Amino acid sequence: MRDVAIVSFATSGSLPAVEDTETQMLFPVISEAIERSGIPRADIGFTCSGSADYLAGTPFAFVGNLEAVGAWPPISESHVDMDGAWALYEAWVRLQHGDVDVALAFSSGISSRSDLREVLCLQNDPYYVMPLWADHGSLAGLQARAAADAGLIPEADASVGTPPASDGAAAVILVAGDRAREVCERPAWIRGIEHRTDPHYLGVRDLTEVPSAEAAGLGDAPVEVAQLSAAHPHEEVLLRRALGLGDEVEVHTGADPLMVSGLVHIGEAFRQINENGRRRTVGHASSGACLQQNLVCVLEGDA
Amino acid sequence: MTDTADTTEGPVRFMPQLIGLDYTIRTNPVAAAFGAALAEGHITGHRCPSCQRVYSPPKGYCPICCVATGADDLVEVADRGLITSWTVLTPIQYAGQKEREDYALASILLDGADGTIGQQRLVEVPLDEIRMGLRVEAVWAPPGEREGDDRGYGLGTAVSGWRPTGEPDAPPSAYQDHTL
Repeated sequence: MRDVAIVSFATSGSLPAVEDTETQMLFPVISEAIERSGIPRADIGFTCSGSADYLAGTPFAFVGNLEAVGAWPPISESHVDMDGAWALYEAWVRLQHGDVDVALAFSSGISSRSDLREVLCLQNDPYYVMPLWADHGSLAGLQARAAADAGLIPEADASVGTPPASDGAAAVILVAGDRAREVCERPAWIRGIEHRTDPHYLGVRDLTEVPSAEAAGLGDAPVEVAQLSAAHPHEEVLLRRALGLGDEVEVHTGADPLMVSGLVHIGEAFRQINENGRRRTVGHASSGACLQQNLVCVLEGDA
Repeated sequence: MTDTADTTEGPVRFMPQLIGLDYTIRTNPVAAAFGAALAEGHITGHRCPSCQRVYSPPKGYCPICCVATGADDLVEVADRGLITSWTVLTPIQYAGQKEREDYALASILLDGADGTIGQQRLVEVPLDEIRMGLRVEAVWAPPGEREGDDRGYGLGTAVSGWRPTGEPDAPPSAYQDHTL
């Protein structure tokens, strides 16, 4: 396997309802990630983005977003209808091929134009769950209830509210091999990255467990900081258990903005190494109802 | 609420599902300024400070140079130009279709702009006489009836169509670099 590192990260942060187009919102974030990397835009060998046209309310919105990348001369690019963490994963896979050394992964989400309580219903099983129009807060509540009944969380955390729905964007630059050390004083090497998914249909899942997070996860590896895509206290508890995170691990949580927070968590895990001198961190991303899909990315700084 | 139909493979259950999602459109500042100028009868664009290309409608950046553009880069382009490409549409008469006759939408390279503006309605020209290089001018809606597109993609209702000016066609060199 080629060693791949994150060498830069930029994010808009969580924004209240933006007036900008998705492309306009992305433009400064991508530019900042590229500038921070010190690598010329023309050296990017592969680009992958994460976004959901259902948020934008516009088919092929992700195609227009490439104007923020600069797609002339033509570039090699791909897109995932997922959080940017999965775009980072695809970029990592692409770099393994060995013919390109630099990749850009980014994502964006404008949740403020629609009601996520409706939009996210469409990601559920269309036969038995979607017709219930159970919003993501209510489904999270089912998992919280299951966790409380199993004694995993206090009763007070069994009641969940509708999560925030901000707008935002994030971008990272990945570099393979020694070039990462040439452009970055303290790159964050991707020591492990994996994603797994649990069954789509809620009825066959044990909501007190997150097998896909455990399967994708840390194993016995120690980390100092964990950035978890947990929207609610019970999700943090369940993820800590699945990933085997002890009390000594510094944990940061949040799952907002949609499509971006996972990539932001990995970016923050990078910053912990790059700026705060940490040695080993993990960024986690999640997708689907009740932590159905999970991506885990373990980062390591040079000793 | 389900229907059941018998097929050769046995009964199949149908479940009708009508899904509607509501979206709130917000108009970005670049598009809002473009729409305000349209209401006054001006078609504007942004000139990239790096490559000098003019984009109309403006985007707020140059997608070639990846440089942000703003009010400092504002220019006006003409309300006349030439056709680079076009499509003749035959409207399918689905429920709600408002069009009845064949009509043409064209990409127009406005004088002063470096990119075309698409989906523009052609009027006062027989469909079989439309051609690349045909010089056209805007048919403006009356003042007060000019509403910009809420996302700044086109000209909204400000221009109801484009008609030939009667001038000689533009030469191929004027449009050969614009395929769309």
